[in-house]
Amino acid sequence: MTFPILTSLVALPIVGALVLLLIGDEERNAPLIRQTALIVAVLVFAQTLLLWARFNPETADYQFVERYAWIPAFGISYAVGVDGISLFLLVLTGFLTPLALLSSWESVHSKVRAFSLALLLLESAMMGVFISLDLFLFYVFWDAMLIPMYFLIGIWGYERRVYAAVKFILYTMAGSVLMLLAILGLAALHFTATGAYSFDLARLSELTVPAHLQFWFFLAFALAFAIKVPLFPFHTWLPDAHVEAPTAGSVILAGVLLKMGTYGLVRFAFPLFPTAATFFAPHLALLAVISIVYGALVAMVQPDMKKLVAYSSISHLGFVVLGIAAMNLQGVQGAVFQMVSHGVSTGGLFLLVGMLSDRRHTRLIAEFGGLKRVTPRLVAVFLIITLSSIGVPGLNGFVGEFLILLGAFSWDPRLTAVAATGVILSATYMLWMFQRVNYGAVTNQKNAGLADLGTREWAVIVPIVALVVLMGVLPTIFLRPMEASVERLVSRVRSSVPVEIRAN
Amino acid sequence: MPSTFNAIVPMACLVAAAIAAMTAEVFRDPGERVPIAPLGVIGLAGAGLASALLWGHNATSFGVVTADNFGLFVTGVLLVIGLASLALSPSTIEHERLPRGEYYTLMLFGLSGMVLMATASDLLVIFLALEVMSIAVYVLTGLRRDSAAATEAAFKYFLLGAFASAFFLYGIAFAYGLTGSTRLDRIGNLIAAQALSPTPLHLLAVGLLLVGLAFKVSAVPFHMWAPDAYEAAPTAVTGFMSTGVKAAAFAAFVRIFLSALEPLHGQWSPIVWAIAAATMILGTVVGVAQVSVKRMLAYSSIAHGGYLLVALVSANDYGKGAVLFYLLAYAVANVGAFGVIAVLEQADRQADRVQAYAGLWSRRPALALLMTMFLLSLGGFPPLAGFIAKWYVLSAAIASGNNWLAIIGVLTSVVSVFFYLRIVVMMYMTPGADRPAAVGPAVPRLAGAALVVSAIAVLYLGTLPARVLDLAAASISTIF
Repeated sequence: MTFPILTSLVALPIVGALVLLLIGDEERNAPLIRQTALIVAVLVFAQTLLLWARFNPETADYQFVERYAWIPAFGISYAVGVDGISLFLLVLTGFLTPLALLSSWESVHSKVRAFSLALLLLESAMMGVFISLDLFLFYVFWDAMLIPMYFLIGIWGYERRVYAAVKFILYTMAGSVLMLLAILGLAALHFTATGAYSFDLARLSELTVPAHLQFWFFLAFALAFAIKVPLFPFHTWLPDAHVEAPTAGSVILAGVLLKMGTYGLVRFAFPLFPTAATFFAPHLALLAVISIVYGALVAMVQPDMKKLVAYSSISHLGFVVLGIAAMNLQGVQGAVFQMVSHGVSTGGLFLLVGMLSDRRHTRLIAEFGGLKRVTPRLVAVFLIITLSSIGVPGLNGFVGEFLILLGAFSWDPRLTAVAATGVILSATYMLWMFQRVNYGAVTNQKNAGLADLGTREWAVIVPIVALVVLMGVLPTIFLRPMEASVERLVSRVRSSVPVEIRAN
Repeated sequence: MPSTFNAIVPMACLVAAAIAAMTAEVFRDPGERVPIAPLGVIGLAGAGLASALLWGHNATSFGVVTADNFGLFVTGVLLVIGLASLALSPSTIEHERLPRGEYYTLMLFGLSGMVLMATASDLLVIFLALEVMSIAVYVLTGLRRDSAAATEAAFKYFLLGAFASAFFLYGIAFAYGLTGSTRLDRIGNLIAAQALSPTPLHLLAVGLLLVGLAFKVSAVPFHMWAPDAYEAAPTAVTGFMSTGVKAAAFAAFVRIFLSALEPLHGQWSPIVWAIAAATMILGTVVGVAQVSVKRMLAYSSIAHGGYLLVALVSANDYGKGAVLFYLLAYAVANVGAFGVIAVLEQADRQADRVQAYAGLWSRRPALALLMTMFLLSLGGFPPLAGFIAKWYVLSAAIASGNNWLAIIGVLTSVVSVFFYLRIVVMMYMTPGADRPAAVGPAVPRLAGAALVVSAIAVLYLGTLPARVLDLAAASISTIF
């Protein structure tokens, strides 16, 4: 039997969390707790890299598949696997978790053990979401993930953290419970067709779901994922959650959690209900374009850096949804690439805002100014990540957005034209923010003596910058492994017979 | 011993323990402390052993008590509830200065009534069991004689309960009038023959039986007594009755409505459908507004009754299995939650207000963690027991085409998460009042063990439910 690498991605953080529980005297052993958690997270990241190295890009099939019966009476199994679409989301999760831990090295003082525990459990659940090939298992991870995130925001967040945490969990749950019903409906359909329950993704994909049921199921799935992405008008939880969450929470939230919505669309909603997906794709794309423009416009007027980055996420993820809705090779490849790329650059932005906030205990743009003279190294890094977020060629943001627009243009030029304004708008709000924070004279005396990047902060930010450049210069090493899987997905959705669907 | 007695052995063990407890209390010297609770544990262990031996044998006694697997599964749930309640009671007894002998005696008699109710297959015996159980619980509710609220609640509970019993008895009379029997299997056979042309008398019998049972499971609109009684009763008693009464009543509910009255499903299901929807909605919506934790859990318990009714309406094998699994999952989490309250009450009198939980995490991290697990399980979060239970109920509803009921169920469960999280917010995210020294006495060892075991059960049922699910599924084939 080969080493169950995917299971160990889920299990290792849990084991690490249990080890943390064994360390006594939280106050005195805080450094030990931090180091243990970090080591575990780095080991998990190393495993994801190993996974990437051993991944076979030639096949569209799931790899490293493990399958054990879990609740046999209902055809529920522990079935996990990875393909080109989920591979990089696993790597991204493994990449961001140690950085999130490291970023909170000095900003989180209280309850270090619980904090590290919550992050590790969160990592485990996130990995689980991306590798599940059984809808029941997927839902378990999807919901279980809410709890550690809820605690991260609610305990270690800023002033209105409780409000934000409760809003986050209620919004997400409200969307996902209807998806649970759709999953059950799908399993019941499988029962009618074959006489046995199954929640297995592969088996359920083979079902012929009647068009009117596809309509409802797709809506239920899409609602859950649209809230998670979040698409306009389901986005209102996001600015609150982001602003109130601690830096580590924001990094994970923007970097990984939002991707679960778009991942869900690609992995479940579109291939399971291709007819309904084809029918709804223009509506979804319209919401995506509204998100792009709306998110960008609202980001422009934010006085708070964190809120600005939060709204920029809404805008950037609009691109991802647009690429998915286009459902062609460029669009979907661009979308998956952009998911990873946005995770890296927005994660970087949140880390930088967190560093400034650690120094000044404020995130208001107006409080800063002229940082270039005070902290030149931090500003240099800030510039690279800002440019990456805008999508300057040569850095990661460009590749994804370009591919998405390319794919979307051949599908619907009008929507794409509107979406392209989002690229210009993003340059406006990002550069304007960058300019107000970093250029000009040092107007506020409190900024005069700020320290530049410390060793730990370098360790946090250098991997991000490296990845930003790597993804921009060598996008092929990322695009190549996902190609086969994306191709098959697109052909599956495209080959469905488009029929007129009516609600009934 | 002739085998005709076999089916009543579990109940007999409990009755014997109750009588022994009563005798021990009567003959003890003033001031002497007799170990009464261990007597109860022995009785429970005997009942558990008997149930295990009876498993799969489908024993019947006198044609009116049937120890089928369904009844034995519920008996098992009841014994779990009983054991946990016994372990959690000492702090409540100590704290409220309750008479120990009476307390344990009543609890054991109540439990024997519940077990009888779970295994009875004759309407009159069900009625008998209902009364044995109810009278014990009425008295337990009002056991704090110095408390006006407890007396009022007990009186209210008793009066309304007596009314409901009368309805139930009247329903039995009609059922007897229609079929000439009170035995469920005979009623079932005859009703099946008459079901094609139901008369108003059928509807009357069904309606009256429904009122009686709906009262016991505190379904809307027969729930009025529950919040008062749950709030005013000693906390360990609340944990006991909010789970035990519900489990016993649902066992009878399933037995009567899904076997004897199954042929009239078309007639009663719209009514139960409406009751289930109203129960879920009212339980959760009103629960949001509560400031007393016990009252809030009372409304949560009403709402959980609604989910169980969803399984009942579905009326398929999944529904029956779901009732069993849900009862178990709900029981361990709810007894646990009330157990935490009971343990805390001992330390500080105000444990009933939501605010009293502020900063509990800093003061009592282990208790806060346990409480969180119980509440999240009640809220239906994976990977805890409550999630699997809700999922089972929902799949029963979907499989039977009750889609709207399922939708109401999931939406109300989101609302319910809001009030469960209120306590979690208090425990973890609100700094406690400035009394760092108010850590309180240590948790009694036995109570602590009961809570930890409940938490492990919640986790086990949530992560590795296959075995218990199979057991539940195997228990439903023999209902009668």
